Amino acid sequence: MYPTINTDYCKGCNLCVEVCPKTVFTVGKNLSQRGYFNPVVDYREKCTNFRLQKGQKILCEICWLTCPEHAIEFI
Amino acid sequence: MEFFDFYRKDRWPHQFCPGCGLGTVMNSLYKAFSDLNMDLKNTVFVSGIGCTGRVPGYINGDSVHTTHGRPIAFATGIKLARPDLNVVVISGDGDLFAIGGNHIIHAARRNVDIKVIAVNNATYGLTGGQLAPTTPHNMITTTSPYGNKEHPFALSELVAAAGANYVARWTTAHPNQLVNSIKTALTTPGFTFVEVISQCPVNFGRRNKMGDPVYHLRWIKDHSIPLSKVTFDMKSPFDFMDIDFKGIYTIGEFVKRDRAPYGKTIETENNILRPPKE
Amino acid sequence: MLSPGRYFLSGNVAVAEASLLAGCRFYSGYPITPSSEIMEHMAARMEKEGGVFIQTEDEISAIAAAIGAGMTGTKSMTATSGPGFSLMQENIGYAAMTETPVVIVDVMRGGPSTGQVTIVAQGDVMQARFGSHGDYENIVLSANSVQELIDLTIRAFNLSVMFRNPVILLSDAELARMIEKVEISKDIENVDFNQVKIPDVPEFRPLGRGNKLAITGLTHDERGYPITTDVNVHRTLVTRLVNKIKNNEKMISDVEIINPEAKNIIVSYGISSRAAYPILKKRRDVGLFRPRTLWPFPESKAKDVFEDKNIITVEMNLRGYDLEVERVARKYGSKNFRNIKIIGGEVPTPKHIMEVLEVN
Repeated sequence: MYPTINTDYCKGCNLCVEVCPKTVFTVGKNLSQRGYFNPVVDYREKCTNFRLQKGQKILCEICWLTCPEHAIEFI
Repeated sequence: MEFFDFYRKDRWPHQFCPGCGLGTVMNSLYKAFSDLNMDLKNTVFVSGIGCTGRVPGYINGDSVHTTHGRPIAFATGIKLARPDLNVVVISGDGDLFAIGGNHIIHAARRNVDIKVIAVNNATYGLTGGQLAPTTPHNMITTTSPYGNKEHPFALSELVAAAGANYVARWTTAHPNQLVNSIKTALTTPGFTFVEVISQCPVNFGRRNKMGDPVYHLRWIKDHSIPLSKVTFDMKSPFDFMDIDFKGIYTIGEFVKRDRAPYGKTIETENNILRPPKE
Repeated sequence: MLSPGRYFLSGNVAVAEASLLAGCRFYSGYPITPSSEIMEHMAARMEKEGGVFIQTEDEISAIAAAIGAGMTGTKSMTATSGPGFSLMQENIGYAAMTETPVVIVDVMRGGPSTGQVTIVAQGDVMQARFGSHGDYENIVLSANSVQELIDLTIRAFNLSVMFRNPVILLSDAELARMIEKVEISKDIENVDFNQVKIPDVPEFRPLGRGNKLAITGLTHDERGYPITTDVNVHRTLVTRLVNKIKNNEKMISDVEIINPEAKNIIVSYGISSRAAYPILKKRRDVGLFRPRTLWPFPESKAKDVFEDKNIITVEMNLRGYDLEVERVARKYGSKNFRNIKIIGGEVPTPKHIMEVLEVN
């Protein structure tokens, strides 16, 4: 289980980059269709939900809780 | 409950600026509700005017967007008329404490069974970043271009002194603690109050060298200290609230008590009017 | 609740008792002379009837709480006087925008500002209609006796529920303290929510019943979603809010008309209209047009009365209802207008009117 960014909602505030303790996200460099620099999930293997389990339980959701746009989903 | 059972999907994405702390508050509110398994059907969300006042409009349940500063008064009416409903007020600092300051202290005194989530972004965001009663000392807004000459309100301390049953202050940099506090507030009878220090990068941060939401969030995180970790001598709680660029927010649970909530009084037996003579 | 029969009540007590008879189960208020007795009486009586009484911290929260209770489908009321009525204006506009039924009793006293606290006046007539900002219509009733206060309080609740609109009942300092014989009839008709279907009035849905209501004072579409930048949404909404009252004026308006054929017509309302009755007994060439519903102006009833007449308005303010009377009466060919305007607390007497009539 790792986070993905929904580009329909993301407004490129980069708060997920700031709050993630494992630096899963990095600041984006490409302009999205809506005109924002969306962050990228670069190191999904670092995510706690990916590393520590194989099941569907969410262990850490600080990025999901902080994201003001509800753009982060765990898949 | 899924996220879009709680919020109206047809109104998403919301209108708030990129990086606004209100989104975090909305996530925390949803999380608290879904963790508690509360029914949206029995809950009414009331708000006033301002950016925060628009939050209940996105909730997929009953929401009342009232006039400026009066959500507490409307909520009192709704709660007393339908005591079985949960009434949650979500509003901003300017709405609740500037124009509506009178109502909140009296509701806390009366201990009406309403739950208040006050989002404190230290400015009037919707109108363009004017001076709010919560703007820290020396900070720059559009109506204090040379720095704020006034001292800010200590919201949580004020409500605690007015007699609320539960008072907590968290920031958008502490979402997990915020979720827990909202849960406690929703389940505690009587007047409960959760203050959230939130970032407003566009209209407040931009004028104070924090235009990037990341910098603003970092500033909030660096300038907040849990009550348990307060080590230096504290003359009064107000010393903490006189924050400027060097100052600090105390965060944590301020009050947890069990005063009886406002309810129906005792039935009276005496007749005021005599029946007509037959 | 009072059982049917004869009573000897003061105006304020009558309003309180009548509201209970009308089904009012929520009262919020703030003490202000001369309306305080309504609140005192409600405090004593409401909880026995299973309702809620609350003394709020100011008039703004009094009306806000009453509107909030109205949204849950509870018939609610607040009473106030001059300065408090001014404070309530913003939320009266909010109730009109969100179509929430609420009844506001305004016991008029001398103004502006604190003015004459215990003295009678009729200075709030225009404020009752035009007090809040923007385009809206509300229903304003005016009584001239304690009996009528009872009848009109009950009617105010019915109208507010039927039209989903705030209804203002104008009493005054004199009526409030006046003790008169009243009769409470056996069959009081109380209209319930959604009982009467009126064009342009949508179905009332209370809060907390799973209706997923989005109530807002912003310009909104039929879902309740705020849409403030669309011309058509605003036009549709506000036109409907105005039309639901304006187009149903015939249904709302209630006028006492005596001797409509007479050449001289006295137009008066409230306590000042009581000066006209002795003259009507003496002189055949004098008639009376006394609206019990001040707003919307009872134009449908005015046509026959105002055709080419000498109009004499009697009221206790310097600029008020005479403007509207003149506007309507000119349409029907009346040209001679005289206004008797007495302020300061002196109630108009037959003598005042006779002086004007004799000049003719």
